Amino acid sequence: MNRTRTMLFSLALALPGAAMAQETLKIGALVTLSGAGAAWGQALLYGAELAAEDVNGKGGLEVGGKKYRVQVIPYDDKYQAAEAVTAANRLISDDKVKYIIGPMGSAPALAVQPLTEREKVIIMTLGFTNKALSPEKPYSFRPNLTTEETSYPIIDWLVKRDKLKKVGGLFPNDESGQQIAGDLGKAYEKAGAALSSKEFFERQRVDMVPLLTRMISAGIDAIELNGNSPATAGMIVRQARELGFKGPIVRNGGPATPEIVAVAGKAATQGMMVTSLQDPDNQEVARYAQRYQDTYRKAMNGFSPAFYDGTHMLFKAMQNAGTVTDSTKVRDELQKLKDFKGIQGVLNWSGKARYGIDHQVASPFFISEVKDGVEVTVARCDLEKCVDITR
Amino acid sequence: MTIDKTAGALPVPERAHDTIRGGAAARPPGPVLLIALAALVAVPFVLDQAFSYHLAIFICINAIIVVSLSLLARAGQISLCHGALVGVGAYVSVACVKGLGLPFLAGAAAAMLAAGAVAFLLGMIVLRLQGVYFVLITFAFSELVRLVLLEWVGVTGGANGITDIPVAAIAGYAFSAKPAFYALALVMTAAVIAFFWFFYASPAGEAVDAVGQNPALAESSGIGVRRTQLFAFTVASAFAGLGGSLLAHYLGYISPESFNMHYSVALIVMMVVGGRTFLLGGLIGALVMTPLPELFRGAVQTQDIFYGVALILMLRFMPNGLASVGARMRARVQARASARDAANAPAGASEPNRRPT
Amino acid sequence: MSNLLAQALVNGVIIGLLYMLMAVGFTLVFGVMRVVNFAHGQFYMVGAFATYVLMTSWQLPFIVAMLGAFVVTAVLGMVIEWLVLKPFRHDELNGMIATIGVAMILQAVALIIFGPDSQIMPQVAEGIFQVGSVIIPASRLYVAVASVLVLAALYVFLIHSRQGKALRASVQDMEIAMAHGVRAKFMYPLGFSLGVGLASIAGSLMAPLFSVSPFIGSTPLLKAFMVVILGGLGSVPGAALASLLLGVGESVASSFISNSVAEILIFVLVMAILVVRPAGLMGKAGA
Repeated sequence: MNRTRTMLFSLALALPGAAMAQETLKIGALVTLSGAGAAWGQALLYGAELAAEDVNGKGGLEVGGKKYRVQVIPYDDKYQAAEAVTAANRLISDDKVKYIIGPMGSAPALAVQPLTEREKVIIMTLGFTNKALSPEKPYSFRPNLTTEETSYPIIDWLVKRDKLKKVGGLFPNDESGQQIAGDLGKAYEKAGAALSSKEFFERQRVDMVPLLTRMISAGIDAIELNGNSPATAGMIVRQARELGFKGPIVRNGGPATPEIVAVAGKAATQGMMVTSLQDPDNQEVARYAQRYQDTYRKAMNGFSPAFYDGTHMLFKAMQNAGTVTDSTKVRDELQKLKDFKGIQGVLNWSGKARYGIDHQVASPFFISEVKDGVEVTVARCDLEKCVDITR
Repeated sequence: MTIDKTAGALPVPERAHDTIRGGAAARPPGPVLLIALAALVAVPFVLDQAFSYHLAIFICINAIIVVSLSLLARAGQISLCHGALVGVGAYVSVACVKGLGLPFLAGAAAAMLAAGAVAFLLGMIVLRLQGVYFVLITFAFSELVRLVLLEWVGVTGGANGITDIPVAAIAGYAFSAKPAFYALALVMTAAVIAFFWFFYASPAGEAVDAVGQNPALAESSGIGVRRTQLFAFTVASAFAGLGGSLLAHYLGYISPESFNMHYSVALIVMMVVGGRTFLLGGLIGALVMTPLPELFRGAVQTQDIFYGVALILMLRFMPNGLASVGARMRARVQARASARDAANAPAGASEPNRRPT
Repeated sequence: MSNLLAQALVNGVIIGLLYMLMAVGFTLVFGVMRVVNFAHGQFYMVGAFATYVLMTSWQLPFIVAMLGAFVVTAVLGMVIEWLVLKPFRHDELNGMIATIGVAMILQAVALIIFGPDSQIMPQVAEGIFQVGSVIIPASRLYVAVASVLVLAALYVFLIHSRQGKALRASVQDMEIAMAHGVRAKFMYPLGFSLGVGLASIAGSLMAPLFSVSPFIGSTPLLKAFMVVILGGLGSVPGAALASLLLGVGESVASSFISNSVAEILIFVLVMAILVVRPAGLMGKAGA
């Protein structure tokens, strides 16, 4: 009798303790971790992991009175649609996740969406295709800017500044390259110029000289380097200058200027216009980059801050909704977020005009000029236009 | 009629027919095998989990594709564009079903026709050359197919691929639920394996094996090596096309990267691991290799090393794949039994069975 | 227009010389061992990485690093030949599949050690030369000259040295060569390591020009395949001729028409040539 009472008593004590004991919130990371796309895949995975580390360091994510330990479960999709679907099946059916960071590529994203939408799983995808977001896909979000958003303001600014008429562009021959080429073409037309010369090449290609030779002889005022990796971009700059091209060179994309300067040299990169998703002067991002470097011993990939912020937005939405299990409520709260303070700056959702639904993040981005091997910010942009920064 | 391999004058006991490959015919499945297969087939239904069905469906599709690749291997050739031909089948099937509104079975048939036709044309040009050129050209051809799929944006959707592929449907019933599609895939796989079972028992099958084992001998006995290899290549690719059609109408999305060189190499690994000289080798290879990446999904970099090492070890120590394990065990059991017989009945004893290579 | 053509021709010849290094090594390996070496591109990558490491970590000058990389790759080749390929010396088909396994392993190991990002190598030569209206970057001229020198050295070795003659005899007919006293035991590792050593040199030469990553091997492999298909497997002169043709053809085509269409066209052209000349331009009629 006494023993039973002691047991009941200790049980009674244990129960609230059990309620305070950590439950685990599982978040899937469905990204490319092998092959050439691994650099970007890691950017997403590490962004999610660092965000998870933030909340776990504070004892867990507090939602609806309970604290959850966040666990990021990574799966490699090898940049293949079939593998992504398999991984998504496993995440949803086996690991029972309702939130996925990724997929990274357009093909994997388009492939998993029928499944994730049906199962009401929120995904934060990098996929550049404009088909990734739509009113029929209410659980898909994109926390990074794509060329669709950034091209027109930047190009408008550039065309006016350098009086460009005909521009040539070199693009990798995959879905992001094809998408970017299309977006840029439209933006140049709208700005009163033309993307007159477009060359597509295999992503591993290193010899751009024939392509550049052809472009240059067709007569162009400037070269667009959009979407190319730092090493490839550097080679294009060097090869173009070696072929005698003297016009402006423009590059969109993540931080890569140090590598480009290393490959092409200061003289070749002088005056190069670089657009980036982050302000080179942004201290928070610099700190994040340092933390990234310290934790993973790799230089930070330019897309990582977007997904770090994106994961935090997801957490905030869960807190606002008071639940981690009802993904519909979380989705509603997520899309209601306004003026979210992330390390990139102030973030909002937009995109209704282009995609029919406001699930595309709107964050500030910047134009810098490379002077003597170093980036100097010259303009600040939002989705409407770019404004010179007066220093 | 199988070639009588035992000494002519002695009566041929029942067991001698259980050589590993009498002619080219596969052994009739014993009760153990049938029960094992039935159990395997039932597993996804028992587990009733979306992911298990998903894996099982892929195993079936891979089995069809790898069994067909084995046909070409038995004829003595290796195709590095098998994955690309799966892609051809996939895109043709989608074009028929989504583009022209034809029913799924018509799409699948068109896929087989298209893939077979492409292979036939390529083979016509290439198989005139020395055998080893075939492999090189299939490698280059795989790249070519990928480029064409990427460039021909109007038809293939380019790098963005094709979304919203209609689910496979027969006579109005749509196989959208996973268990239903699994049943469909099972039936197709069984049909394909049955086809090859009858095929290998036929003279055509024996010709294929003869060409693969000893081309010079086959040629001099009237079996045209090039002709037979062309036939094998065409049929193998046709079934690859069928696999592609199933894949497209299950995943609902296809894009060019899914059918690249990596995929063709993965198919070869599956074939080698399973066993290219056995009818069920393709099935075993698919069974073992399809779920394997799931073990690796965390530590990805080591996966390729594992595959490379496994491939080399298999080639070296088990060139006939995992399927040969069963055969070797059987042979050992029979050898022991025959030895016992020989000890018990010294006169008129049967010859011990030939040990498999 | 003629300016563009001249520039395209020069570009093409330079690239063609690089293809030649790859293709000659590949066809040598096939000629001696009857093995289609699917790992050939990965040895190119190994050469590039070895050069990179020797230059950046050990501060060696480029030429020394390139020779060091050659030695490293040749030794690696010998080890792999002995460890992996020896059992398949008379089994072409399985030997070929084994090299696929080797290729997977080499790339995966490089990926683990160096990661997926491209590494940038220090420049070897700066500036450009101008001949008329044709521009030749110094770095490319360097590569072209080095390729010519290496190929000349190879030629001398093959024609005038004892081992070289033995090698050529083995390529022509291993059995008869053996009957004349050529030791097959030495020919196989020699042929293989020399062949992949040439791939390594190609990788070393290209490394400062382009960048170094675990994925740079697949394109040179494809080019080597196209060249030997065109020139005839096992024929070194065929490889030499075909690589120049391919280099120039590609360069001219992509200077005048869109790059992707050019790639498809080249392939179709190669197939067409095969219809007319099944053994390639200089290959032996096959059996």
